[in-house]
Amino acid sequence: MEDFLIAARAVHYASTISLAGVFAFLCLIAGPSASPRLCRRLSVLAWTSLVLALCSGGAWLLFVSTQMSGQSAADVVTQGVIGIVLNRTQFGEVWILRSGFAVILAVLLMMPHGWRGRSWRWTGLVFAASLLASLAWAGHGAATPGAPGDLHLAADVIHLLAAGAWVGSLVPLALSLAEARRNYDLGAISAARRVVVRFSVLAALSVVILFTAGLINTWFLAGTVPALIGTRYGHLLLLKIAIFIVMVVFGAVNLLRMAPRLSAGAGDRHRPVEAALGHLARNASIEALLGLCVLTIVAILGILPPGLHTEPGWPLPFRLELGALRPLANFELVIFSVLAGIFTVGGVATGAAGRYRAMTVVWAGVLVWVALAVFVVRPALEPAYPTSFFAPAEPYAAPSVARGAHIYAENCALCHGAGGKGDGPAAAALTIRPADLLEPHLFAHTPGDLFWLVSHGKGDGAMPGFAGTLSSADRWDVINFVRARGAGSLSHTVGPQISPLAAPPMPDFAFIEDGRQQTLAALEKTGPTLIVLFDAPPNAGRLARLTAARRMLTNAGVREVAIDLKPGPPPRTGSSPSLPLATVSPAVAATLQLFCAPGDGGETDLMLDRAGHPRARWSAKSAAGLPDADTLVADAAQVAQFPAAAESHAGHGG
Amino acid sequence: MIGNHPIVAAALFAGAMLGVRGADAHAFLDHASPSVGSTVPSPPGAVTMWFTQQLEPAFTTATVTDNSGTNVDSAAAAVDPKDPTELRVPLKPLPPGTYTVTWHALSVDTHTTQGHFNFEVAGK
Repeated sequence: MEDFLIAARAVHYASTISLAGVFAFLCLIAGPSASPRLCRRLSVLAWTSLVLALCSGGAWLLFVSTQMSGQSAADVVTQGVIGIVLNRTQFGEVWILRSGFAVILAVLLMMPHGWRGRSWRWTGLVFAASLLASLAWAGHGAATPGAPGDLHLAADVIHLLAAGAWVGSLVPLALSLAEARRNYDLGAISAARRVVVRFSVLAALSVVILFTAGLINTWFLAGTVPALIGTRYGHLLLLKIAIFIVMVVFGAVNLLRMAPRLSAGAGDRHRPVEAALGHLARNASIEALLGLCVLTIVAILGILPPGLHTEPGWPLPFRLELGALRPLANFELVIFSVLAGIFTVGGVATGAAGRYRAMTVVWAGVLVWVALAVFVVRPALEPAYPTSFFAPAEPYAAPSVARGAHIYAENCALCHGAGGKGDGPAAAALTIRPADLLEPHLFAHTPGDLFWLVSHGKGDGAMPGFAGTLSSADRWDVINFVRARGAGSLSHTVGPQISPLAAPPMPDFAFIEDGRQQTLAALEKTGPTLIVLFDAPPNAGRLARLTAARRMLTNAGVREVAIDLKPGPPPRTGSSPSLPLATVSPAVAATLQLFCAPGDGGETDLMLDRAGHPRARWSAKSAAGLPDADTLVADAAQVAQFPAAAESHAGHGG
Repeated sequence: MIGNHPIVAAALFAGAMLGVRGADAHAFLDHASPSVGSTVPSPPGAVTMWFTQQLEPAFTTATVTDNSGTNVDSAAAAVDPKDPTELRVPLKPLPPGTYTVTWHALSVDTHTTQGHFNFEVAGK
């Protein structure tokens, strides 16, 4: 069924683009100069495109309805599922509207002698463009929520229209050039020259628009290098871009080498002119066929989950750790990329114009440039594994950490030690010492790196792989536990001064305050958060001070959560003011305990930034003592400057 | 003018592309209340889920079951008309125990996804 859907989509894209292209060609390129014979041929092309668009649009609706409902095609038709799809989904609404556009276009095409009228042509262009552009509402852009969704949708619309203007008018261009070759008089040649020049302007404009809108779409749907080179979606997208570049090269050859020959030798028996017309038409046809390949890829991309939503399999043994490049900075990388892009365009243009010596020089420059870049970024290359960019399938949150703690005790503690310092009972007998999992180096690895090491082992079997014994979810749980414990242990070194360095983040957790369930992740979105952990029953005086501080913090926009990790009997009546202490489940309490040090004296305070990184830490026993409200408000203003967690396009779990 | 070879090549290419299959996946669960895997002290009146994309109400469903597999939702799941990324299932009064939420979502770009998660209602 999926293959049929892809076929229907490909035919539909091609036919609606072709239909829009006919009118774009008539309005923007040929003008009134189109001969009656060419108009007849364009009319046939338009009718064919419209009929194909209607059939493939119907097939698309049918196949999508079967997918939505999970029923067979026959049931979808007889049981009224199509009616539900048409009436009650956005896809259906768009399809009804588009059917209207198609009917109007059919009426226009049926009007006799219409082809010469200016208003008729422009009406046709408007409706053919609407038929094409409205496809964006049936695509990925329509489902992105909020303002980014509007940008994505706008980029989709513009991308479709530019594709229609360029790719769609290739076949009409080839037809008109064939016409000029058939007539072959001075009038026909000068008309052809005009057509080629105008087409080239339109095509160049469209290429720039396609490139820009394509970049926006790529960012929305692939967004990261791993998603681009590590997923099937990304691979197809790269293939599409490669074919697009070949199409641009053909266009450049037409513009820079063939078009000038049309004006070259009207006197010398027209030979080069005739050959140039033939080359131009042939190149346009090849471009159109390549365009068909691109549209087939588009048809597949539309039903694949975008690259950001699938786990990228990293194909390289190394990855670029941009953090290691600080002195060089991203700005220089951008300049480098822009220059590399300009050189590449120069290489293509010189080649297309037939200036081969200049082309050789430019391409040699590109190679030297790339070699230089590799040399410069080499120190920032880190070892990587196929799963390096997998997002944890189990979210980094207390329930997973608590499960992971049990799995760790049963499978890992023997070598790595119950506390994780690499000093388990079996460690002494090993020639390679098990890794100390409390070292900050743990966080030089991505969660995906750790997933590979836990699954497949390390050091030629010194560490065994657990892919055969632990499920994928279990392995993610244990990784979340090891990272949470490492984060807890590293947080002990954070002092009472706001740290510009981000310590590893606290896992998300749920707590109950005032009878209502809340999560840390939701709080972080609003600003800095002060987490107060009571490992022992708090005394009344401390509670009174916290209650007073909370009022000031709330006014300053800082959330404070005081959590009783060991809830005992309620405090004696009358003695304590009403600071609502939050309560947590035993699993959450065990996770938060990782952030309390033994010498903390019963209370640990953590100031978290908007991404959950501890930026300052106080404890009841620390030399600086516990912070007062004024200090907290001042600190929070500073912490609010640190960035929030990157907004993920693809949420998993949570 | 158009030779046979490019057409054959394009047809072969299109055929090869048709062999590529994709998993259906699109609107993912962003977060939920009660939160995924959490324990709540008192029975919630509903389960609310927020997705990464806008949902089609006609083809989006969710059910909540207890340990024995009995449905404990009191009405069909409904997409919030004001925020089409939000799905809500009203619940019957729940006794303490572990509950499973199973959801099937259709995003407005016509892709289906499904998933499930647990939450626990604590004993008195």
